[in-house]
Amino acid sequence: MDIKRSLRSVAVAGMLAAGLAGGTALAQEPLRIGAINPYSGPLALYGDELSRGYQLAINERNARGGVLGRKLELVRGDAGNPQQGIAAVDQLVTRDKVEIFVGTYISAVSNAASDAALRHQKLYWDTNALAAELTERKLANFVRSGPYSAHFGEVSVRAIVEMIAPALGKQPRNVSVWIEHEDSIYGKSIAEVQKQLLEGKGVKVLGVGGHNFRATDLTDVVLRARKANPDVWLQTGYVPDGNLMLKTAREQGYKPPVMLWVGTGDTFETLDALGKEYLEGLFVVSYPRPDISESFGPGATAYLNAYRKAYNREPIAPQGLTAYTGLRMLLEAVEAAGSTEPSRVRAAAAKLDKPLNTYPSGFGVKFDDKFQNTRAFPTVIQWQAGKQVTVFPNEARPGGVSLKNTPRK
Amino acid sequence: MDTVLNVLVVGILLGGIYGLVSIGLNLIFGVIRIVNFAQGELVMLGMYGAYLAYTMLGLDPYVSVLVVVPALFVIGLVMQRLVIQPLQNEPSMQIFATFALLILLQNVVLALTRGQGYSVPTQVAGMGLELGEIRIPATRLVIFLAVTTIAVLLHLFLMHTLAGKSIRAVTQDRQAARLMGINVERTFTVTFGIGAALAGLAGVLLAPIYTLSPGIGGNFILAAFAVVVLGGLGSVAGAYFGGLIVGLVEAFAGFYIDPELKQAIWFLIFLAVLVVRPTGLFGQVGAEEVGFREQG
Repeated sequence: MDIKRSLRSVAVAGMLAAGLAGGTALAQEPLRIGAINPYSGPLALYGDELSRGYQLAINERNARGGVLGRKLELVRGDAGNPQQGIAAVDQLVTRDKVEIFVGTYISAVSNAASDAALRHQKLYWDTNALAAELTERKLANFVRSGPYSAHFGEVSVRAIVEMIAPALGKQPRNVSVWIEHEDSIYGKSIAEVQKQLLEGKGVKVLGVGGHNFRATDLTDVVLRARKANPDVWLQTGYVPDGNLMLKTAREQGYKPPVMLWVGTGDTFETLDALGKEYLEGLFVVSYPRPDISESFGPGATAYLNAYRKAYNREPIAPQGLTAYTGLRMLLEAVEAAGSTEPSRVRAAAAKLDKPLNTYPSGFGVKFDDKFQNTRAFPTVIQWQAGKQVTVFPNEARPGGVSLKNTPRK
Repeated sequence: MDTVLNVLVVGILLGGIYGLVSIGLNLIFGVIRIVNFAQGELVMLGMYGAYLAYTMLGLDPYVSVLVVVPALFVIGLVMQRLVIQPLQNEPSMQIFATFALLILLQNVVLALTRGQGYSVPTQVAGMGLELGEIRIPATRLVIFLAVTTIAVLLHLFLMHTLAGKSIRAVTQDRQAARLMGINVERTFTVTFGIGAALAGLAGVLLAPIYTLSPGIGGNFILAAFAVVVLGGLGSVAGAYFGGLIVGLVEAFAGFYIDPELKQAIWFLIFLAVLVVRPTGLFGQVGAEEVGFREQG
């Protein structure tokens, strides 16, 4: 009997010990963040770049001991389309025990993946997608820390009114604009914002044209803009159509005084296609680049140095800095919430209130009731001697930079 | 008036592009009677061939024609022998096989390039003729001259050489051709090789105009199918003039109506032509059936 009892107590003690050990192991388990992005296929280039930004933020935080006493680990979920987005979320939750999701610059993937994350009761923190409807859904697990399409439209209009009109020696009401856009929801929604805001400022909108970004020929698009003869040719699109339009304009001898591209046109893909002489003076509204002034984006230079050190190259595209900033905001919210539970992180995020020019991208943070960050804006670069130089807002301009080839010769 | 003339020139030059990507497709379609879904990917391979020739050998794309076109001819031979020929008696399986080739080629190039958009520079980029408002870009003029030359040469080849005659014989009746001592399989292989080489030529000449991406072939293939069906199956003249018609319709509809509607407009014309003349503008009546008759 005694033997039995002591055996039982040994067994109980053993179980307790195992339980305790298990508990400790759980506490030391890293906090896994699932990064939903395309890592294969035609969209992988920027997907990889976003994850480099996430990884840099995680490295930085791990060096300071992690969050909630746990180290952070980034787990990649490959998704180039909505179906893959759903599958990646399911897999990362069940196989990799991911607790929070971040992602991606493809709005359709963000849409599907955040839905899937909600079914698993996980937070989806969007850093780079642009479509307005993502926050319109008011999903209970969704937060967007980066700028969205309306912000791109808004900054393009501010650049025309505050920078380009003076450079042309004109009042905004004497400036004329042709708005061109690729005809999916991305280009269309930005063009609508642009038209409304420009007309509100008294700028003349001569016309709005749409095109398919896979079109084999855009001569018609170029000739229509040339016929309208605007001061500013404002275009929102992707890389292939933007490049084809510039090549066609060159062939057709079309030289508008100002060309302002939105979304793409600021990478080596456009430089290779057109060459630095032709690109001289082209403006592009895009994500803030690490060359912005330190007073505008405190820590931008440190980010650039960390990137170079970690990856032994220059950033491929500016989206990485926005992703890095978004992940930093996420970790602040998680820390303040003391939890990864969506409602608690969102409650903590709602209390974040930092002015513009707090983060290396120049962003601040203040979420509206749809959990869209209202203090995240793109910037404008100008191609100068084959380099992308930030020129707008004025405060973001690095020292000694002035506009080149405006109006275009 | 100048504007109308310029749009006319734009349309004709665009027609040259469509003719060039369609002519190989039409040859394969007409002779071997298979819809080669991978034709756009062969054009894409031609483009990347020009890129490789530029980065590795420093060749201008117009010089790299000498390397890339023969290479595509060989790729065409291999595809025909290893994939298409074993399925000779399974026409629908051949179509699936070309679709598999499409996916395979796209994904191999994707894996190699990571989806980065490449460009191929050339000395003539930005050059061209200027007559008032009318612009004739050199890159497009070269394509127009090339497709015109190819159409004439291909016509002469098919009409006046023994190999051309055997291709025509096989097109008309495989069994009779075989009974006359023509090696049908070899004719198919050579035809597929020529079709692939023409796609390669199109790719090289288009490379300076576009930003290369693995999926770019798909942008042309829709237009190419429209051209082939509009112009007439298996007809060289059909591909050439079909290309011009599609190019002109697109240029005028895009400029005077709306660039967003131009595809809808040329498919409307395409449907109208099919209803009135199911063989296409230059196709022989019954040509679309010939190849299938003895397979059934």
